[in-house]
Amino acid sequence: MPVKWLMHWQPNQGVTLTTQILTEACQCVESQLGGAKDGRWKTALTYYRPALREASASGDLPRELLGVALHDQLGSYYFLLRAHRLILQADSSMQALMDKLQSYKPRVVLNFEVEYLPLSSIEKSRQILEDFFDIWQDTVKKRSLPGHFILVEPNFADYGLQDHYTPQHTAVQYATCMTQLMAAVRN
Amino acid sequence: MECVVQGIIESQHVEALQILLQGLCGVPKERVRVHELCLKSGPNLGVVPSEVRLLCDLAQPTPSWTVRHVGGAMRGAGAEQISVLVRTIVESKVGHNVLRFFYSLGYKLDHELLKEGFVFRFQRGAQITVTVTSANKMPKLYATDEAVPVTPGIQLVEITAPAAAENYSEVVAAVSSFCEYLAPLLHLSKPGVSMGIVPTAAAAAASLMSNSGAKTL
Repeated sequence: MPVKWLMHWQPNQGVTLTTQILTEACQCVESQLGGAKDGRWKTALTYYRPALREASASGDLPRELLGVALHDQLGSYYFLLRAHRLILQADSSMQALMDKLQSYKPRVVLNFEVEYLPLSSIEKSRQILEDFFDIWQDTVKKRSLPGHFILVEPNFADYGLQDHYTPQHTAVQYATCMTQLMAAVRN
Repeated sequence: MECVVQGIIESQHVEALQILLQGLCGVPKERVRVHELCLKSGPNLGVVPSEVRLLCDLAQPTPSWTVRHVGGAMRGAGAEQISVLVRTIVESKVGHNVLRFFYSLGYKLDHELLKEGFVFRFQRGAQITVTVTSANKMPKLYATDEAVPVTPGIQLVEITAPAAAENYSEVVAAVSSFCEYLAPLLHLSKPGVSMGIVPTAAAAAASLMSNSGAKTL
């Protein structure tokens, strides 16, 4: 499976992100780097929270359960418990199963519309992707766009994942990306 | 959704049942060896308690896991009249870390069983699955190799068929009609409605064994 690297855009201090800025950043790839737009795909992240009989006594229940539906893996669903560094792969029916249990309820759903502009070894692909990323950042800087891309760098080994890239790696990247984004918003 | 009926049969008549099923289904039997873990939500988790079953298939060279939630049975006057239970069911294949996942979510092990036996899967008006198993309990946690029968001398027969809201009456009819073939050997009814063993079972079994040329024990 080809390696996927997830990036999120960090706007400069005081700048509001607009679609215009992102379109320009993507155009850098098309015009300067010879990339071709392949089309959009949608990924959905669902944040679940435990439903408690007594709100005050949550005990050692995880405060957050994350569900990920990847556009290119429609038959699968992934659950992540970041506190336990655990990722569970399941069929797409697992989402309906969790709904039936009523023990964890969805609180926030985030839909990602991603522009996909297509090496299974992460280590082998690292140098190539880092070089590409540097070129892209330079091109973006030349356009004086008010922000820059930040690479998502999760520790795959923490979740017991290997060097060979799988959809589970992508799900972990999304979870880490959200943490980085939320930290950036707080700061 | 699924349609389901259950019945019990004495272990000594299982071979005869197998011969009968072989003749009716026209497919070879498959081995069943499933470690079933029943998990229940911890004391404060969920406004209502919930239960989930983890099934580890030990019959294949590589164990594989499935998680299953059994929902409520169909209700109403219509449901009372039919002899087959129709209930909602959700199942998913899952990774090997599913037990650790549910423990981390706050679920606790309520009980575990090892089910051993055989299964016939075939098409006869509906996609029917007939499972014949003995239920075994473990003296120590997860000790599937040391399992002992819960009811020695008695095995459980379960017939299931997947159904949808649009077609469940046809599926019910297909299952009921199939059950009639098994009537000489066992009573099949809704789970929870116990009908006991069939008085004619011994005679029917003997007849099946002698017809097939198999040796009786």
